[in-house]
Formats: sequence, C-alpha cells, structure tokens
Amino acid sequence: MNDPLFSQLSTLGSSIVLLFGIILLWRKSLHAYIDAFRWQSVVLSVMLLITGTFSNDHELYAVALFLFILKAVVIPHYLERMEKRFGDHRELQPYVNVASSLILSGMLVLLAYVITRPLVLISDLPTRSGIPLAMGLIFVGLFVLVTRKKAISQIVGFLVMENGIALLALLGTYGTPIIVELGVFLDVLLGFLVMQVFVYHIQTTFESIEVDQMNELKH
Amino acid sequence: MIFFLLIFPSLLAALIATLVRPYRAIVGWIGAWLSLVSLGAAFAIAAQVIHGQTPIWGIVLKYVNLDQVLRADSLSALLMLCVTGVATLALFLSPGLGRQVTNPHWGELAYSPRQLRRYHIFTNLFIAAMLVAVSANNVGVMWIAIEATTVFSAFIIPLKLNKASIEASWKYILICSVGISLAFVGTVLGYFDFFTLSGRAENALNWPVLLATARVLHPEVMRLAFVFLLIGYGTKAGIAPMHTWKPDAYGESPAPLTALMSSALFAVAMYALLRWKAVADATLGRGYTDNLFLALGLLSLVIAAFSIVLATDYKRMFAYSSIEHTGLMCLGFALGPLGTFAALLHLVNHTAAKSLMFFLVDNIEHKYRSPLIERTRGLLKTMPWTGGLFAFGVMTLIALPPGGIFITEFTLFRAGFALNHPWLMGTALLLLAVVFVSFIIHLNKMLYGTPAADDINMERPTERFSWRIALLLVNVAVLVTLGLTLPAPLATLLKQSVAILAKP
Repeated sequence: MNDPLFSQLSTLGSSIVLLFGIILLWRKSLHAYIDAFRWQSVVLSVMLLITGTFSNDHELYAVALFLFILKAVVIPHYLERMEKRFGDHRELQPYVNVASSLILSGMLVLLAYVITRPLVLISDLPTRSGIPLAMGLIFVGLFVLVTRKKAISQIVGFLVMENGIALLALLGTYGTPIIVELGVFLDVLLGFLVMQVFVYHIQTTFESIEVDQMNELKH
Repeated sequence: MIFFLLIFPSLLAALIATLVRPYRAIVGWIGAWLSLVSLGAAFAIAAQVIHGQTPIWGIVLKYVNLDQVLRADSLSALLMLCVTGVATLALFLSPGLGRQVTNPHWGELAYSPRQLRRYHIFTNLFIAAMLVAVSANNVGVMWIAIEATTVFSAFIIPLKLNKASIEASWKYILICSVGISLAFVGTVLGYFDFFTLSGRAENALNWPVLLATARVLHPEVMRLAFVFLLIGYGTKAGIAPMHTWKPDAYGESPAPLTALMSSALFAVAMYALLRWKAVADATLGRGYTDNLFLALGLLSLVIAAFSIVLATDYKRMFAYSSIEHTGLMCLGFALGPLGTFAALLHLVNHTAAKSLMFFLVDNIEHKYRSPLIERTRGLLKTMPWTGGLFAFGVMTLIALPPGGIFITEFTLFRAGFALNHPWLMGTALLLLAVVFVSFIIHLNKMLYGTPAADDINMERPTERFSWRIALLLVNVAVLVTLGLTLPAPLATLLKQSVAILAKP
C-alpha cells in the first residue's frame, strides 16, 4: 500500500469537504447552499472510493454508491424543488453576520483539533490527520443550523453535519459496519423527507419560511 | 421467533392502516388487538429472562451479516414490558375507535379520516421502532431505531395543522435530530476505540462485545464519546439543558401520542444512555459518568421545579413534571446499586403514572375548551371519574402513598444519603417540596370551583363509568401494587438489571 499518498489524499479530501461546509457561512443564496452540499457529497463519495481502494474494503464501494445517490442526487433534487417553489430566498440576515461567522468557525475548527487530539494520537490509520477536520465540519454544520433563519438553510446545516459524521466514521474507522451504515442512510432520507414536508407546512401556515416568526409557544 | 411476535404486530397494523383507505374504525381496532400479541410476547420474553435465558435472534444473509441482531436481557425485557404496556393502552384509547372525536382546542372539528389514517400508520411504526430499539443487540441498530422514532412521531405531532403545532414539531424534529446525530458521533467514537485496538469486526458494536472489551479501551476517547452520547440521548430523554423541545411537543401533540412519548419513548432514550453508561463505567470507573448524571439531574430538577410553579397550561405542566422525574432518575442511576434499583423501579412507576395522566388529559381535552389551568375548573363535578383518577395520578406523581413513586423516591434518597451526598440530596428534597406545593395548588384549582359555561363542551353529558375508564384502572392497580409490595418476578427482573448496570 502506498501509505503516504493515501494519507495525503485523505487529508486533502477532508479539507475540501470542510471548505464546502465553510462556504455556507459566506454565501447567501439558497442555490449556493444546495450546490455546496452537493459538491461536498460528491467529494465525500470519492473519498469513500479512495479509502475502499487503499484499504481493500469493498463494502465501502457500496456505501459510496448509496451516499452518492442519496446525497448528491436525490436530496439536492428535492432541495432544488423547494428552492424553486419558494422563489429566490436569501439568507439576508442570519443571527450572526458573515465576518463573525467566519472567525467563529475558525475557532470551532481549532476546538475540534483540541478535543480530537487523543484520537489522532491513538489511531494508527493513515487517514488519522483528517479526523479533526471531520469534527470541525460537524461543529460548522451545527453552527449553520443554529444561526440561520430559513428553514431550508437549517436543513442544509443538518445535512452538512451528517456529512461531517460520515467523514468522521470514514477517517476514524473506515466506516461503521455496513448494516449500521445502511440504516443511517435510511434515517437521513426519512428525516430529510419529514423536514421537507414541514417546510411546506411552515410556508402555508406562516406564509414564510423564516423560523424566527415561530414564537407562539412560551410557558 | 418471540421477537417476531413482539415487533411484527405493530408493523402489520401499520401496513393495514396504510392499505385501507379511507380510514375505518376497524383498522384502529385491529391495531389495538394486535398490540395485545406484542404485550404477550413481552411477558413471554420477561419470563424467559427471569429463568436465566437470554433470547437471541439473527440471520446471516449473503451480503449483510445480521447475526445476533436482536437480544433481550432483563433490562431489555423490563423496557419491552413498559413500551408494550403503554402502547396497548394508547392504541385502545386512540382517536378513531368509534368515540365521538371532537377536540375543542382546535374548534369543534373532529379528526378527518385522512388524519386518522396518518395517526394509525405512524403511531404503529413509532411503537415498532421503540421495540426494535430496546431489543437491538447492536448499539448502532439501537441508534437507528431511536432516530426512526423521532421521524415517525414528528409526523403525528401536528395532527391538526396550526401555528403552534407546526412550531412545536419543527423544534422537536430539529432539536432531536441534531441531538441524535451527536449520539451517533459518540457511537462512532466508541467504535473507533474498538477498531483501533482490534481492527475491523462486524460484531464490535454488539453491546456484550463492547462491554467485554470496555476494560481495555482508552479512557480519554471514552470520555469524549460519553459526552456526545449523553448530550445526544439526553436530548431525546429530555434531560436539562437539552429539554427545551419537551413542553412544546407534549403540549401540542394528540394526547395518546404524548402518553407514548412521555413514558415509553423517554424510557427508551434513557435505556440507550444506560447501556452506554455501563460501557463507559467499565472503562472509566464509576466516578466520571456518575458526576455528569448528578449535575444534569440536579439541573433538571431545578428547571422543572421553577417551571412547574409558573405553569399555566396543564399539558406543559406535566411535561415539566416529566423533566423533574428525568432528573430524579439521573440522580438515582448515579447512586450505586441501590440508587440504580430505585431509579429503575421509578422508571416503571413513572411509565404507569405519566401515561395515566396523559390519557386523562385526553378526556379533559374533549370536555374543556382551553388547555389553561385557570379555565379548567370543577373537574370533579363535570367528570367525576376522570377527576378522581386525575387527583390520584397527581398525588402519585408528587410521591404521596400509596402510589409506587413514594417508595422509589424514598429508596432513592436513602441511597443518596448512604453514599454521603447530604447537600445534593437536601437540595433535591427542597426542590421536590417546591414541586409538591405547586402541584397541590394547581390541582386544587382544577378539581374544584365551577367552570364558566363557555369553557366546557355542554353536548357531552356527565361522565359515566365506561371501559375506557376501566382500562385506566390497570395503571392505578399497577401503581398501588408497586406502592404496597414488590412482586417477586419484577424484583428478580430489577435485580438482574441492576447487576447488568451497576457493578458494585
């Protein structure tokens, strides 16, 4: 096995995946969000293929295929349909502005480096240096989810976070056992579908998909 | 085979509900009777477990290895009894079984056949997912099933679409999905540690394998993993500060679903946490997880106590009461074998008591126009049976004898004082006193007085004894029995579970 090459490729791949996550912080149109998510998923599937090749683990090919179909084709398709339906909605005023978002996300990635230090030290996989980036992506996805006001942006934040988890599982353990992996895909799909249904409900009930109007329920 | 009988009936019921359109009452009845099969299977599994067997089921397919995918030890059996018990009651008391279904909170609209169909499909799927979660051997599969419960229940929280219910379910699905994703990060980290030590293994996420290896796992990774798992499953269980979805979701969902969520779903999330706590304890020793549980448990009690004082809506009040009991159980699970025993028994009692309360809330909702405590007066006069049982339920929840919660809280505090936590236990007692007083005040308002004429549904005559009330007497019987004595089979089941969870 060509370990240095594999190691470099996986670090490069993880960095690209993380960058696609950070794009969400400074782009505003929903279209850019969806594109970022789609390309992120594509890179992630390629990384699964690379890891599968270098580690001789053919189950990963199947996982890569499922991931590609689900996250690079099906989900972006539905997201685009929603985008068309609601017109060109922009995330005009997120709770945190672009500059602070970028600084905060940098700090989140640093935090990820701190908390995953023991993992990187213990692991002897060639992919280990990407683990902090995966954890960073999880945090960035979470950050997008809590600071955006549009329901669709929140969904994309959630999906990016899911990608981060998939990346973490890939880099740390070459993927979880296949039965778990498939179950997770099913859950992501179902979860996405139910969220999508709710976006339509929110639109018809509140006549907007800004979630900060939701303030009926207090005590 | 026994697992088939446990899980398949609810799937079959969901299938029937999907195929029959438009919805007919017979579908609801079939689902309700099928749930008795599940209940019987749960009892059979419990009996096997008590006799020292551990039922395991699995198949090996060509590409997917499902060997030993389902397994039931005494802890699973205990949870199966709780889940199937509440599920049976909930399905018999569901809307669409022939009762006049008007819900004054939303105007005088009955549920439409489409809504009833959706309700019966997803409630049954929800129950099936919970049963898979407690019988899964693989902690990854357990995670998948718990995530599935979020999705299925989110479909039925807004059975009536309005601003409040949409808001509640959006918060619910977002907060719980994120929480559960974090639990998956924890699961991956746990697997990471195993993988690093012994390489790829399909069965590494099987709980017994995980527990057996736990001793040699890396403490620093396990610490990180457990924090993620605690936040994740803690969100689902509604431990403070991850409880924020709970009052909203409980306040807005149809009452039988709330009953399922507050008793069965909560217990399932707690169960997942306990499984991982056992693993983390084996790696780290008890101190680490215990301290986290104590801190979050106390925080839950504080938040719940003050929210109950301020509560104006009775459904939200019971949601906060759930958070209070969650806090108590967290304390119990951190207090050694005796505390764990008390907390598990408390879990059983709480399941019976909280489901009783929400089924009664269902009755009250059909009679009164408003969910506000202020406008729900004179329960004893307008609904003698519901009012009486309601008073009994509330008194049980605030730990008055003869309800079983009295015994479990007493044992729990004894365990705490025996382990030298006088300040902690003193604070907890003080908070329970706050809860006690404010519950009595709220109860007093609801039971007595005269309701304003436009607050109650006059079309419905004064309540008479019916089989629906008779079913609720089952819960009362369970609570009183557990308050007076501890049946030998249950004691065995609890002791075996304690032995699994708390190695002294």
